[in-house]
Amino acid sequence: MADISKFALLKTLFWFRKMKLNLFGVKSNSLFKKTLAIFGLMLTPIFLLAADDVVAPPTEFNPMAWDWSSILILVLAILIILVIARSFDIGSLTEKITGKTIVSWNNVNAWAGIIFLVVGLIGVWYEMKIHGKYLKLGDSASAHGETLDSMFYWTFGFTFFVFVVTEILLFYFMFKYKYDKNRKAAYFFHNNKLEIIWTIVPAIVLTFLVLRGFSTWTKITTDIDKNSEEIEVFAYQFGWKARYSGDDKQLGTANFNFISGTNPLGVAEDSAVSSLVNELNGEIKKLEIIKASIEDSSKLWKAQYDRYVSTGMSNSYPEEFKQMKSKYNDLISGAYERQLEKDIKRKNTAIKRIAAYQKDHETFNGTAKDDKITTEIVLVKNKPYIFKYRARDVIHSAYMPEFRAQMNCVPGMPTSFAFTPIKTTEEARASKNDPEFDFYLYCNKICGAAHYNMKIKITVVGSEAEYKTWLATQTPFVAPPAAPAAPTSPKADSTAVKQGTVVKN
Amino acid sequence: MSTAALHAEHDSHHHDHKESFISKYVFSMDHKMISRQFLITGIIMGLVGMGMSLLFRLQLAWPDEQFGILETLLGKWGKDGKIDPNFYMGLVTIHGTIMVFYVLTAGLSGTFSNLLIPLQLGARDMASPFMNMLSYWFFFLSSAVLLTSIFVETGPASAGWTVYPPLSALEKAVPGSGLGMTLWLVAIALFIVSSLLGGINYISTVLNMRTKGMSMNRMPLTIWAFFFTAILGVLSFPVLLGAALFLIFDRSFGTSFYLSDIYLEGVGALENIGGSPVLYQHLFWFLGHPEVYIILMPALGITSEVISTNARKPIFGYTAMIISLMGISILSFIVWGHHMFITGMNPFLGSVFMILTLIIAVPSAVKAFNYLATLWRGNLRFTPAMLFSIGLVSFFISGGLTGIYLGNAAMDIQLHDSYFVVAHFHLVMGSAAIFGMFAGIYHWFPKMFGKMMNNTLGYFHFWFTFISAYLVFFPMHFMGLAGVPRRYYQFTLVKEFDVWMDVNKLITIAAIMGGMAQVFFLWNFFYSIFKGKKATQNPWESNTLEWTTPVEGIHGNWPGEIPTVYRGPHEYSRPDRESDFFPQHLPDETAPVTAPQEGEQTAPTEVVPQETVESSVFFAAIKRVLGLS
Ligand code: HEM
Ligand SMILES: [Cu+2]
Ligand SMILES: [Cu+2]
Repeated sequence: MADISKFALLKTLFWFRKMKLNLFGVKSNSLFKKTLAIFGLMLTPIFLLAADDVVAPPTEFNPMAWDWSSILILVLAILIILVIARSFDIGSLTEKITGKTIVSWNNVNAWAGIIFLVVGLIGVWYEMKIHGKYLKLGDSASAHGETLDSMFYWTFGFTFFVFVVTEILLFYFMFKYKYDKNRKAAYFFHNNKLEIIWTIVPAIVLTFLVLRGFSTWTKITTDIDKNSEEIEVFAYQFGWKARYSGDDKQLGTANFNFISGTNPLGVAEDSAVSSLVNELNGEIKKLEIIKASIEDSSKLWKAQYDRYVSTGMSNSYPEEFKQMKSKYNDLISGAYERQLEKDIKRKNTAIKRIAAYQKDHETFNGTAKDDKITTEIVLVKNKPYIFKYRARDVIHSAYMPEFRAQMNCVPGMPTSFAFTPIKTTEEARASKNDPEFDFYLYCNKICGAAHYNMKIKITVVGSEAEYKTWLATQTPFVAPPAAPAAPTSPKADSTAVKQGTVVKN
Repeated sequence: MSTAALHAEHDSHHHDHKESFISKYVFSMDHKMISRQFLITGIIMGLVGMGMSLLFRLQLAWPDEQFGILETLLGKWGKDGKIDPNFYMGLVTIHGTIMVFYVLTAGLSGTFSNLLIPLQLGARDMASPFMNMLSYWFFFLSSAVLLTSIFVETGPASAGWTVYPPLSALEKAVPGSGLGMTLWLVAIALFIVSSLLGGINYISTVLNMRTKGMSMNRMPLTIWAFFFTAILGVLSFPVLLGAALFLIFDRSFGTSFYLSDIYLEGVGALENIGGSPVLYQHLFWFLGHPEVYIILMPALGITSEVISTNARKPIFGYTAMIISLMGISILSFIVWGHHMFITGMNPFLGSVFMILTLIIAVPSAVKAFNYLATLWRGNLRFTPAMLFSIGLVSFFISGGLTGIYLGNAAMDIQLHDSYFVVAHFHLVMGSAAIFGMFAGIYHWFPKMFGKMMNNTLGYFHFWFTFISAYLVFFPMHFMGLAGVPRRYYQFTLVKEFDVWMDVNKLITIAAIMGGMAQVFFLWNFFYSIFKGKKATQNPWESNTLEWTTPVEGIHGNWPGEIPTVYRGPHEYSRPDRESDFFPQHLPDETAPVTAPQEGEQTAPTEVVPQETVESSVFFAAIKRVLGLS
């Protein structure tokens, strides 16, 4: 591949030189060659990429494996459309020859508009009838959701009225004023009274909606109960974790630099952070050893590479060879070494930053020790909550449609959303007539391959006691002093945070 | 205006040289050829974008089915006949990018601004034909790079068409953010260059190259729309370029404009601190919101012209239409925050954006009512262009109304990034603008290619497309109201979303039907270019200047002198005239020539409403303020 493309590139460049191209001039005598050269130029990005083997090679040409029946159906359908099309062509030709109108498109179009309007409105009604029960209008599971739902109905009432009236007028006009060669259209340019009315009326209605929206929005976002319980909700590719404060009613601080396998949320807790520092130091050592021996390994890789090429294994194991070749190329070009250096530098920075934090007693104040990290969220009905959102890697969005709540989770920018659940899971199950129903928090901001399956269950219980019972079953970040405290053992479910794991709940 | 002198000079050096193939068809500097190039490239890109949407619709409707053909088409991305989740994201991203930028910005504005600005204003060509040519070739190159990015080993950009960092900045977060994303950025940078070259050209042509008598308030609404569109583009695209540059720096040179506090699985804590991902969103939507009007306004302008011509009636409220366009253009720069209500921005800022957003609804409503009033008591000729225009009005209403929900910050908490949004923008921006584009193609095909398209095929095309567009996008409102998130690869894993499978199937079937309907169009379009009936001089009996040029379209547009303009473009069905149209270039014999007034009515005084004078005073005042007259 690479050779071919390089050849093509050279060839193109050669042509250019030979032809003394004057691309923008108007005089030309080797038109064909010039056109070719231009298209060659256009294709250079592809050539360059092909040279680096980054353009995917075409899939193997194997017509036997094709889905011939679908292709046939598709081709047939297109043919039928074309035949219909031709027959109408001929139809209009006969019309012209015989001078008789076979189809009066004027009427057909006018009627089609009316039929479309009627059938369309019936369709909307029918869809409402079938799926209306799934719409999240009314029956909100949160306090503020009820205000939102009522505002929704107001907006819906207004817009649906306008929608129906204007669409009816549109298609009615289309019908009523269809072409008639004996009639002349009215001749007027504007009507100030009418225009003022239809500017002012929407403006008034919109003002009303804006004012309601304004007060609701302000209430939801700023009118927050001081006694709300804080729960941290942590988003990562691809899952969620929650953190409850322990007995001290305080969430410990956290920082992305502290995140490790045993400390998935990066809370500021001495022993976990110290062991992370050790871990980092160990990794740096390892990387440095690799770096020191880079010359030797280059030789080894080269030998390996040559062996693949000379024995023809490069052809029999193309996948392995490709991987090896890219590693080999990285080694030879020094990319590998640069990568190692970057890694080492990054890890050193992390260590430096952690050390600075460790001196700061505000951060390491011990409040994180009793925090409980959980893989589901349990709430108590009628108790106000603030969800404090953090994201580990990319932007996620915490979407709880049943609670009419959503907020983005942004790396480097903590966000929050306050709400009060007013329905227990049991109540919701009863009202939805679905014994298996559960509340969920979904991810609603594109975040990668498993975005569509990134959710965490929310259970709303009826009483504080139930909640306490559940919380007691969750382990604190550092086990209380009574238990023998091993430096690495207590951790809340760190196994789920693995590369690319899709957390299924 | 010294246009006459300019033209004379222009003339003299146009008629002597013989054109070669390259200068005529490839590196053409003739605005009509460039508009054809834009159109055909746009159509090709549109087919690619539509094909992609069909692929991912297949996945959404039958997630458990295996389609052998997918493996054939997509290779490793379609293993076992199922689309890979990463590639799904890539498809959605490229689909959005192609549709928004390549089809509805370049394909629509590029085609019709280029074609109509000189022809409807009476100019020999664009202000700078060379820049115009560059504009097309940057666009072409940009398209080539974007299409190349689909074939990259690690897949195309897949962070959504808005390419929010950090997802778009970190190769380790999603494979598409590797080379695919680099190519996406290169393509967009080239695209912006093309768009700026075009925009500057359109603005200067409109301001400087109008023929004698073509004062600003005699310009057809198409030109007004293209004019405002170009201004929006010139002011907002550079900001996107800035945003993209910062992103390039963050990706390749270790800066932290958008990155902060990131821990990546398998890598560890990154060094970047101090940046803000939300900064990118502000920059992006500062372009992004005007962009939706860049898409929509040309379609609205085309529709105004087509509806007026085919209703045989003056457009209702010419001045109101222009003021609405102007209001929309200005407001569109200060409402971008409505895309970001739930990013954690200051709630007060959210309120401000909400108020501004709902204000923009007023001029939009005025436009919709004006269209209805233009149809009222008209004498409607259902050409395919007219049908597509009526379709646009329908989409504009049904999609525009849902904007009132989304613009309301409180309701947006629930609706943001749900299928409700997908429904909203596909109706008001996607379908409406595409219909405007079709209207333009059917209406000006005779001017572009000197041939007629077949009406019957046009009717089929219209009705199938119209019905399937509603079938595809209307049900999405219901899904959105039920809280179904967008950009999901599959809905079967969540019970609450799984109940919508039947709707998803309906949508996909309708989408396939809509795709097939385009065969009518493609056949009609390409067949008519070569074998169509020869066009007559003024097939729609229209008033505007473009129909005075020779059918076969010559370099320099008019063989002799450029016609002079005597009145506004919408003098249809004047009671004092036999025929129901009165072209702009015919001198008045009956009524005395008065000073140019609103819509330039020169009709007998009894039909001119008294208020006309007031509004035109207002209009003149605005013009003076803007320094346009
Ligand atoms: C051929 C008919 C079309 C169909 C069936 C279609 C379908 C869809 C669907 C289902 C999505 C959402 C996918 C998801 O969120 O997972 C989508 C996204 C999108 N579509 Fe279309 N679409 C069509 C035409 C258009 C047009 C004409 C436009 C022009 C504005 C457009 C612009 C977009 C944009 C901007 C997105 C968002 C991409 C993203 O999420 O990053 N589409 N399309
Ligand atoms: Cu996500
Ligand atoms: Cu916007």
